[in-house]
Amino acid sequence: MEMQKQEGLLTDAEMESMTSVQASEVDDWANFKDNDIMQQQSAILAEEAEKIPFVGDKEPLSSLEAEYQSGSIILLEKIKVLSEQYASIRRTRGDGNCFFRSFMFAYLEHILNSQDRAEVDRITANVEECRKTLQSLGYADFTFEDFFALFLEQLESVLQGSEASISHDELVQRSRDQSVSDYVVMFFRFVTSGEIRKRSEFFEPFILGLTNATVEQFCKSSVEPMGEESDHVHITALSDALGVPIRVVYLDRSSCDNGVVSVNHHDFTPLTGDLPADAATVGGPEPINPFITLLYRPGHYDILYLK
Amino acid sequence: MVDFARVQKELQECNRDIEVSGISVNPKSDNLTQLIGTIPGPLGTPYEGGTFTIDIVLPDGYPFEPPRMQFATKVWHPNISSQSGAICLDILKDQWSPALTLKTALLSIQALLSAPEPDDPQDAVVAQQYLRDYQTFVGTARYWTETFAKTSSLGAEEKVQKLVEMGFPESLVRSTLEVVGGDENMALEKLCSG
Repeated sequence: MEMQKQEGLLTDAEMESMTSVQASEVDDWANFKDNDIMQQQSAILAEEAEKIPFVGDKEPLSSLEAEYQSGSIILLEKIKVLSEQYASIRRTRGDGNCFFRSFMFAYLEHILNSQDRAEVDRITANVEECRKTLQSLGYADFTFEDFFALFLEQLESVLQGSEASISHDELVQRSRDQSVSDYVVMFFRFVTSGEIRKRSEFFEPFILGLTNATVEQFCKSSVEPMGEESDHVHITALSDALGVPIRVVYLDRSSCDNGVVSVNHHDFTPLTGDLPADAATVGGPEPINPFITLLYRPGHYDILYLK
Repeated sequence: MVDFARVQKELQECNRDIEVSGISVNPKSDNLTQLIGTIPGPLGTPYEGGTFTIDIVLPDGYPFEPPRMQFATKVWHPNISSQSGAICLDILKDQWSPALTLKTALLSIQALLSAPEPDDPQDAVVAQQYLRDYQTFVGTARYWTETFAKTSSLGAEEKVQKLVEMGFPESLVRSTLEVVGGDENMALEKLCSG
């Protein structure tokens, strides 16, 4: 993945390399213990935290344009194309959890705005399936139950009309509160890991394309630890497990041969259990319109809003 | 803030199948942030027959942050400091996940005893010996196991005598041993720290 430093975007991978560069400057290894490394790491994360909350405020798309003023022409043109369709962006912190954090906020905000109780019932049933998946994979209940409970609680509270109901402002506050936000991110990590393991034969070739790891190793090292970045494998698994379609719009410097600037996107469409696979793709019942759109720039995800 | 409800569940869960795993975790203090884990040395390794105690401190962010673990029992192993007992293991650092538990961490440490990774050493001296002179390594590791990890087989009086020989006053040795429940290593640590 190509890093684009001049664009002023600190990717997660860069943060990692910063950590290791600083660590390697320590001369006295004997006195440099794990605690020091972890303290240093949390210091870097804290520094990053001051720049942007877990979930930022909604900003007009022009703020994205401003970010690239002295940067690539292609990107500026692509942002112009984006602005025909999208009105605003909500940034998330680049701490390796940005995909899950973006998904969390975009999903809960969608429920808050739509009050779609049928969707809540549908996803709740999927969450119960995920719980069973983890149990059958041998996870001890106490390792995941708190995370499941906290997500279901958030889901409940964005539905209006009960004592637990919260406003949009409160949703923003909760998404910035580590004791809620990280729990929900971890919930998604459990769900993603469970789905990948459950369908390991399906995911194995994709994982082999990314790393040399087995499915088991991949889940342990790249899905379950907090701060591990997400790739298309994670997105596919989460979208399938929860049955939520996700559109990812790609803002990168790939240019088009025909000279016309366009912005690529990919829709992650969940498997529909009842339909044969080809019926879902070839002239299926109706095209699924994802209500979650994320903007991907190499190494980072933010939330996009339609006009 | 440590999630104490979870820690309680972990302790119950871990100690339930102690007969099978041989792995236990117990609180060192009332507040559950300081714990002691024990693991049996794996069979077929120089650590066989030893019982290794591991100091566990739970940071505020547990289970999001990894438990801090280090050997209280002295051990000769490429990935464990022979001086401090510090452990070089990825899941205790950036590869930690709330999906793991104190027990799975201790199981991983036990697996590390079985399968050292000398190319990613914590103790360079031990790692070098492991790579260049494996037989001497095995001998030293076995000797350390005999000397430091089998103290529980010593009778109470032998422990007292051993510590007194190190130069501590007998009455203090006896009271300290009592406080730490007869664990010679912990008594020594306490005596040394004054």
